[in-house]
Amino acid sequence: MSVSVCLRCSGLRGAVWSALRLRPPAPGSPCAAAGLRLFSAPAPGETRPSIEESTAEYKFVERLIPPSKVRHGAGKVSTGWVPPSPSPPDLPYMIRRSRMHNIPVYTDVTHGNRLITIVRKVEGDIWALEKDVKAFLKDVTGKDLPTQVNEVTMTLKVKGHFDRELKEWLLNKGF
Amino acid sequence: MSVTKKTGGKAFEILQNLPRITLANLRPEPGSKQLRRGRGQHGGNRSGRGHKGERQRGNRPRLGFVGGSTPFYLAIPKYTYNEGHSRRPQYQPLTLKRLQYLIDLGRLDTTQPIDLTQLVNARGVTVQPLKRDYGVQLVDEGSDIFAAKINIEVQRASEGAIAAIERNGGVITTSYYDPISLGILIKPVPFFLRGQPIPRRMLPGEDMVPYYSDAENRGYLADLDKIQQARIALALKYGYALPNISKDELYHMLSMRKDVRQIFFGLAPGWLVNMHEKKILKPTDEKLLKYYNS
Repeated sequence: MSVSVCLRCSGLRGAVWSALRLRPPAPGSPCAAAGLRLFSAPAPGETRPSIEESTAEYKFVERLIPPSKVRHGAGKVSTGWVPPSPSPPDLPYMIRRSRMHNIPVYTDVTHGNRLITIVRKVEGDIWALEKDVKAFLKDVTGKDLPTQVNEVTMTLKVKGHFDRELKEWLLNKGF
Repeated sequence: MSVTKKTGGKAFEILQNLPRITLANLRPEPGSKQLRRGRGQHGGNRSGRGHKGERQRGNRPRLGFVGGSTPFYLAIPKYTYNEGHSRRPQYQPLTLKRLQYLIDLGRLDTTQPIDLTQLVNARGVTVQPLKRDYGVQLVDEGSDIFAAKINIEVQRASEGAIAAIERNGGVITTSYYDPISLGILIKPVPFFLRGQPIPRRMLPGEDMVPYYSDAENRGYLADLDKIQQARIALALKYGYALPNISKDELYHMLSMRKDVRQIFFGLAPGWLVNMHEKKILKPTDEKLLKYYNS
């Protein structure tokens, strides 16, 4: 079974190599890489080093390292991303952007039916934010929604899923 | 925003100013459970267990038992809908809308070829090779707003997605990564720190070879002439003018393709990366070179 698999592989390899010959030499291919010597025998009496060191190709490794900070782009309307306003809005509270430069409003579902909206990364007077959010959601839904303020983690929880409305509202404020 | 943040805020201030807690100040939370003491505290008499029998004695049969006749879950016959579901290859979907979002925010660099490492580094997709993920599939949701010229390499792609990318003058290739190579591709740094040489990428199994040898899917094993013909045919089908990428200034980047056995651009199998000293160690032994270049 293994023999037949090998034959199949070599047959495939033949097809692959014929495809490779048609391709212009890619700079990244192993055959074209500098410094690799194929089938060269060592001179008699000479011992070759078992490895070669090189720093020329290290730039390809640097490209693979994930960046610790995600860049802040210019943003276009087609994807719906809006950058924060250049100066923070004149309010007693501030809501920072997330690591990926988005509004930190999230939804949560527990027990299948318990819907909660969370506003994170709040700074300043969180009670003023709570008051504004309650007033805004009263306009939207007509109901007084229960909210929970956590002053230690500086988060605000609202009963129900209002992430879309709250994100738009915060964007309009300029956060 | 001139208020300084104090951990605990108003709640802490209130606590500091309240008087000492005594029994006179405490009251149970309205609606909380009130404990009873005495014989009635666990429900009284039979304690909610009923009268005699298996119910009271705690000897009821297992879940699903219906008294002796064939239970529902055994009477209904099985069908092979889900057979081998845990062994089926899965591909994480990536919409063109998300791809455009990542490019717009500057998370993806369009001047370099985009492969799965770049997508994961941009935190655009999460791939779990241990959950039978074999890579990423490009889905054509958002093909009407997509407007970026890129050289992208994915594992599966829908026809609409291929059309959208080629319409904007880009290049798309579908290629196969076996699970070990995939694990190395998405997390290159932990792999380099392991101190192992870069392995050769395995070829697809016989069930996937037809997919990757087909020019319609822009497979990496397909004939380049057939791919060019397929590009023209797709442009006719979807009704757009196929841009000539050979005249493009980024043609060199757009035509970059990995070798069949290569995992990373610019790094060959068999090389060992030393991240601490920023060096690459290459083998010189004939047999090793013959193996890694085969």
